[in-house]
Amino acid sequence: MAAESHNDMQCNEFDALLSDAIDKMLTGPKAEAFLAHGKTCAVCGPLLAEAEIGKHWLEQLVEVEPPAMLMHNILAATVGIDTARMRGAATVPVRASWFERMAEWGRMVVSPVANVARQPRFAMSFGMAFFSLSISLSLAGVKLSDVRHADLRPSAIKRTYYETSGRVVKYYENIRFVYEIESRVREFKRATTPAEPAPQKKDNPKNDNTSGQPDEKQQRNYSQGERQVMLAGLSDNPPVVEFANLATLRRIS
Amino acid sequence: MEDAQIAALLVRRCVAGDAVAWEEIVQRYNRRIYNICYRFAGSADDAQDLTQEVFIKMYRTLKTYDVERGAFMTWVTTITRNLLVDHFRKTKQDRMTESLDGTASEHEDAMPLSERIPDLAPTPDTRAQSQQVGEVVQRALTKLSPDLREAVILRDLHDMDYRDIATVLKVPEGTVKSRINRGRAELARLLQRTYKQVM
Ligand SMILES: [Zn+2]
Repeated sequence: MAAESHNDMQCNEFDALLSDAIDKMLTGPKAEAFLAHGKTCAVCGPLLAEAEIGKHWLEQLVEVEPPAMLMHNILAATVGIDTARMRGAATVPVRASWFERMAEWGRMVVSPVANVARQPRFAMSFGMAFFSLSISLSLAGVKLSDVRHADLRPSAIKRTYYETSGRVVKYYENIRFVYEIESRVREFKRATTPAEPAPQKKDNPKNDNTSGQPDEKQQRNYSQGERQVMLAGLSDNPPVVEFANLATLRRIS
Repeated sequence: MEDAQIAALLVRRCVAGDAVAWEEIVQRYNRRIYNICYRFAGSADDAQDLTQEVFIKMYRTLKTYDVERGAFMTWVTTITRNLLVDHFRKTKQDRMTESLDGTASEHEDAMPLSERIPDLAPTPDTRAQSQQVGEVVQRALTKLSPDLREAVILRDLHDMDYRDIATVLKVPEGTVKSRINRGRAELARLLQRTYKQVM
């Protein structure tokens, strides 16, 4: 009986039932006919064996892990929003990052100053302050190109900061020193105008330091008092300032 | 809630402009799509690009998805498959001309798989060994003609039923079954030859 039934089955019928047979969905007389044909047919027999082996090989392929950035990239390419941000907006309660908190703090500090600076009467003052700072920096030898090529390691930044601030302080002290000389000269001139020479007033201001404090501190306190006089009389005799300035700078630096 | 219902709801939300729903869709389907692309293309880089393309296409055409006409999974798989066909056509000139003609066995004779896999000796680490086997099977899979390859990937790696595969491939169920059978058999022949040469 079996021989007769396998003869009844055609190769195309066998092929149509092959997947069901491999899925173990084939039962009863159909399954018997199928197996009988497979045993006798030189084409279908090997096909059944190979298909089963092939299915077994495919079972060896396990699911692969997509790249970690895939989802992020997809979201960026479609909605253009970062995953974390979307997630944060959707589920996570307000949890500001360290950077965001710093930025917020910065805004709190800066905004009142910025509001004041926006007023016209202060804008001029800020402009002047910026101008004098940039002049001071350039005279002190701080160039933008140096900043651009600066070493940005924390240690290098620290060192550069101290070097730069040292140079600026030194320059300021020099300027103060020059101003002092200038005002002393002016005072001296004023004193000598009524045709009465006063040679003891012509001393180097540094010699006035008898307190034992460093020169710088003395000069700072002193120059604050003297600046008003010096600025008022600045246009009186520019050549003196010029000469004293250059000479002193050369000597000190 | 069933998967199909969840998907339908997500699509509705997404079409209404809910970005979180879209993220959920990406989360749910990126793994599956990536795996289909990876198994078909045989390259992680290509799979990544293709998966991204699939989602871009999905995002643009999400409005056209009709719940009544079929499962979202089938719709997604159809988009994936169509893009894989495009990708195959684009790269056909470069590397897949032979397998299109169904002359994979001739190609095999010219360049046996074992030549590309220098060492198939058993290693003490079973995980490494199964990974090695996986690589060999993957290489054989990419040597199948695309018609057979896509059929076995959807059936044997993604467990889709014949009817859904027929919908995705736009061919009758009988053709799907026939392709699956031939794909499996062809793969077995390729690997048998490989292991015979190595052992
Ligand atoms: Zn037969």
